[in-house]
Amino acid sequence: MKSFLQKLPFLGQCIALSFLLCVFAWLSLFTWSIIPISGTQALSALTSPNPNNIAHRIILDLRLPRVLIAGTVGACLAVAGAIMQGLTRNPLASPSVLGVNAGAALGMATVSTVAPWLGVFGTSVAAIIGGAITWSLVMILGTAWRGGNEHGRLVLAGVAISALCAALTKAMIMLYEDQAVGVMTWLAGSVADARWSDWQPLWPMALFGLSAAFLVGPTLNLLNLGEDSARSLGVKLGLVRMICSVLVLILVGAALSAAGAIAFVGLLVPHIARALTGQDYRKILPLTAIMGATLVVLADVVSRAIIFPMETPAGAIIALIGAPFFIYMVRSKTS
Amino acid sequence: MKTLSLSALLLCVMCVLVMMNLSFGAVSLTFNDLLSGFQPTSEFYFTIHEYRLPRTLLAMLVGGMMALSGTLVQGVIRNPLASPDVLGVSHGAGLAAVLLMTLYPDVSVYWLPWTALCGGLLAALVLWLLCGSHSSAIKLAITGIALATLYGSLVDFLMLTRPLEINNALLWLTGSLWGRGWDQVTMILPWLILVPVAFWLAKRINLVQLGDDVATSLGVSIPVTRLAVLAIAVGMTAACVSICGPIGFLGLVAPHLARRLVGGRHQILLPCAILVGMTLLLLADLVARTIDPPIELPAGIMTAILGAPYFLWLLFRTK
Repeated sequence: MKSFLQKLPFLGQCIALSFLLCVFAWLSLFTWSIIPISGTQALSALTSPNPNNIAHRIILDLRLPRVLIAGTVGACLAVAGAIMQGLTRNPLASPSVLGVNAGAALGMATVSTVAPWLGVFGTSVAAIIGGAITWSLVMILGTAWRGGNEHGRLVLAGVAISALCAALTKAMIMLYEDQAVGVMTWLAGSVADARWSDWQPLWPMALFGLSAAFLVGPTLNLLNLGEDSARSLGVKLGLVRMICSVLVLILVGAALSAAGAIAFVGLLVPHIARALTGQDYRKILPLTAIMGATLVVLADVVSRAIIFPMETPAGAIIALIGAPFFIYMVRSKTS
Repeated sequence: MKTLSLSALLLCVMCVLVMMNLSFGAVSLTFNDLLSGFQPTSEFYFTIHEYRLPRTLLAMLVGGMMALSGTLVQGVIRNPLASPDVLGVSHGAGLAAVLLMTLYPDVSVYWLPWTALCGGLLAALVLWLLCGSHSSAIKLAITGIALATLYGSLVDFLMLTRPLEINNALLWLTGSLWGRGWDQVTMILPWLILVPVAFWLAKRINLVQLGDDVATSLGVSIPVTRLAVLAIAVGMTAACVSICGPIGFLGLVAPHLARRLVGGRHQILLPCAILVGMTLLLLADLVARTIDPPIELPAGIMTAILGAPYFLWLLFRTK
């Protein structure tokens, strides 16, 4: 399978993977529903919706926003991870490992407990600000911009900041909320409660973030040559880092406010993309987006199946695959 | 002399904290209430004897043992970033305990420490197999943290697929002393036997610190010492974890503070670290209980808020 994909030209890979994504999205529309829905009903709900048909209503009101949000969140997180890996030239970089997820979660928890009147827009902005603070802290403490063999230090700084933010988030939530289950689910990252109202703020941010990310691909390629070469080729390092960081924060903020902190997508997917196409970020970024979407949609299907009819957060499923991969990466990439 | 006065000061601070732990909470007691509260006739007897006294004792026992095991691990691996929770031992022990609770809910709780011990030992073994003895400080820490992440996500998964007991389990896993009583105190008491053994090994740990070659030429068997000390540390960590869940960063921070206070001689360092650990956990639990009563935060959250910045600072300084 993998070698077959590797041999395809880039466009073929995109088409094959998109096809896979469509199949999983279609499966996600009708499988594991309490009221039985058939695959053809799922298709007819999309082409000729009938408001009186209960299966159509379930698909259009519950399943479709869920699939769309799962896919978009996956694409956002995966692309954010790819940008971070390109920017820091650190194979272990990703929003969850470097503490951006935890910081954004802390920002959101702060706003939703202390100042809930700010609404959805306020929480998204808070997520971005929280992520920005942790991201800059990790970068300063891990001395990342100096590059080189400091992979481990950067990750440890991220882990410590994550732990700090997670503790603060939990403290805040326990002081203000009564139900631990909802909090746990949200912290693990779930799209089970996704509705059209979550989709409204997500898609403009995701669209902007993803399309801007595809534009910085060529610059990331230059950065990968090393700082000196990049500078001599006319790359304005400060500006590029600034723009890329802002992009990462927008992508992560959008994803988190829609689905909670889904970990490891940003770590796992860029490496698979790199295995398929090589080091060219112009190709890595689109493939990463498609595969990130596929992974989260698939995880969402599995999360419904695993203790049907109850739901498990999709993030918990991805963590079960992601954590061993993280160990493998640590083993092979740190000295 | 300096050491002695510092230790005395530390003891005083700890005694004050014990008093505060006994008197503050959902109901605040005056000093006189507190003194009379130890008589069975007092109206506060139940509060003090059944809630606050066992909890305070437990905070001291767990804090001291966590700090001691952190000091032992840092002593023999010669790695300033190491501690049972950074190396994934705490989370391994926690995973084993959660597995037991979810798979065999009817088993007596007295099996918990032993299950946790097996889990902790296994986690230590896995880390050893992955890293060997020649890894750099940062690589060991990062592998340990990656393993801890894995155990943590398995625990999350188990708890999320069985949501009925999640409230309780969540409190247990974030390292809380809430709802612990005399039962837990008696469960942890037998493990105190490891403390004198650790003191007995203090002199050898000093020699190990000099480096493998020097220690060997001075007649210390490095593998045996290392194995014995690590086994003691894992045992104590597992006992603590099975009582109140992994309390993060305590085993990392306490040894460093103690070392700054009294220096690196383990005969003095070990008792001092125990005092520091007790003080820290008493303080963390006090703050966690009194910040917004009657809601209680897990003490583990407080230690993480204190400890994570300290870890960052250490990381910044480690070459």
